[in-house]
Amino acid sequence: MMDRYSQLGTAASLAAWRDAGLTVDAAADQRDGGVSWGTSLGGTQTFEDGYRNLYLQRPPARISPLGVIMGMNNACASHIAMQLGLAGPCHTFSVACSSSTVAIGEGFRRVRSGECGVVVAGGSDATLSYGVLRAWQAMRVLADGNEETAARACRPFHRQRQGLVLGEGGGAFILEDWDRAMARGARIYAELGGFGATCDHSHLVRPNLDGQVRAMQIALADADLAPAQVGYVNAHGTATREGDPIEIAAIREVFGDHAEALPVSATKSMHGHMLGATGVIESIATVLSLYRQSIPPTAHLDEVDPACAGVRHIVGGPLRDVTLEAALCNSFAFGGSNAVLAFRRHRQL
Amino acid sequence: MSETDTLALLREFLKKHSGQASESVTPESPLSSVNIDSLMLLELIFEFEEKFGISVPNEFPTPDTVGELVSAVDALRARKTEESN
Repeated sequence: MMDRYSQLGTAASLAAWRDAGLTVDAAADQRDGGVSWGTSLGGTQTFEDGYRNLYLQRPPARISPLGVIMGMNNACASHIAMQLGLAGPCHTFSVACSSSTVAIGEGFRRVRSGECGVVVAGGSDATLSYGVLRAWQAMRVLADGNEETAARACRPFHRQRQGLVLGEGGGAFILEDWDRAMARGARIYAELGGFGATCDHSHLVRPNLDGQVRAMQIALADADLAPAQVGYVNAHGTATREGDPIEIAAIREVFGDHAEALPVSATKSMHGHMLGATGVIESIATVLSLYRQSIPPTAHLDEVDPACAGVRHIVGGPLRDVTLEAALCNSFAFGGSNAVLAFRRHRQL
Repeated sequence: MSETDTLALLREFLKKHSGQASESVTPESPLSSVNIDSLMLLELIFEFEEKFGISVPNEFPTPDTVGELVSAVDALRARKTEESN
């Protein structure tokens, strides 16, 4: 009864819930517990299967009676709420590549406002269906590769970068009210301090410097952080020719003199572009960099494009034993929707 | 014979979808007791239509028990046999 995107998201949410030391109880009826989920494609594999049966088979095969509820974009959020007994707001955000970043930001606001005591926030997408791949290929933004080069095909900020590599997956955070988390002695990976969201309002796919700059500035102000306090930016870094230099220019504008020494990496080089799930996976990398005081690299970046210079690219391997107090995670979506999360280190007492 | 087939298909379906033991599915069983909710019923109807070549009308009355469901499907199967003769 679940599309693959719902399976990925529900599995991630259950793992996160257990990792947070909480009990899985479908009967909990937790009135102040919410779900804030992101997906770009929703149940696209269900729809693709249905259309294949309907249009290609002769006589046309039938569409499953569960096609609607498997394919709908809020199916995953509902499955999570049912599994965990969460009775508060259960919402889905579809904002292309910013989907789960927006979902985390909106869930964060519900906790901060006091509306929710706990929110499962994240996203999932199952991108690797034939129709989806062909559509992305037609846009000419996918990296080429053969058997030898495929593993290093995604090379953000590289002089010879060729484009993105689609991945699929799901990830989830348990966002919990501070006092409540402290009271139960929860393990806290980091504090979510701020969220910035803007729209380029200029072009469906061409990124815009001003929109990205504003999103980062709003996130910093929301978290009450000065640029110099930030020690790492997890970049959106999709490895397209057009996108990467604009993001670096935006980071340089926001961070000014601090930019040259500011560690930046794009973990898409390792996990690919998971569309609606990519923001949460990159946010997890960002949070773990604060938790472990170790910054992940941009893989395969052995020749930085001069157009992407001006920040401290982390290459070759993780930057270990850093003193990292705050970090940003950037997501910049088709449609011009920019979303940035600002995280702070938490020192466990 | 047809009654057995319908019940057998229903038992096989429930075993596959919810791990329900076949011997616990009797004509007297209320649908709720064998985990057939409205969604599962939709899937079952789909299965009956596919396997028996029947068409279950939209105004198909919601049965309360396994026996009522089997009887209703068997009536549709009998009508189909009559029509084809």
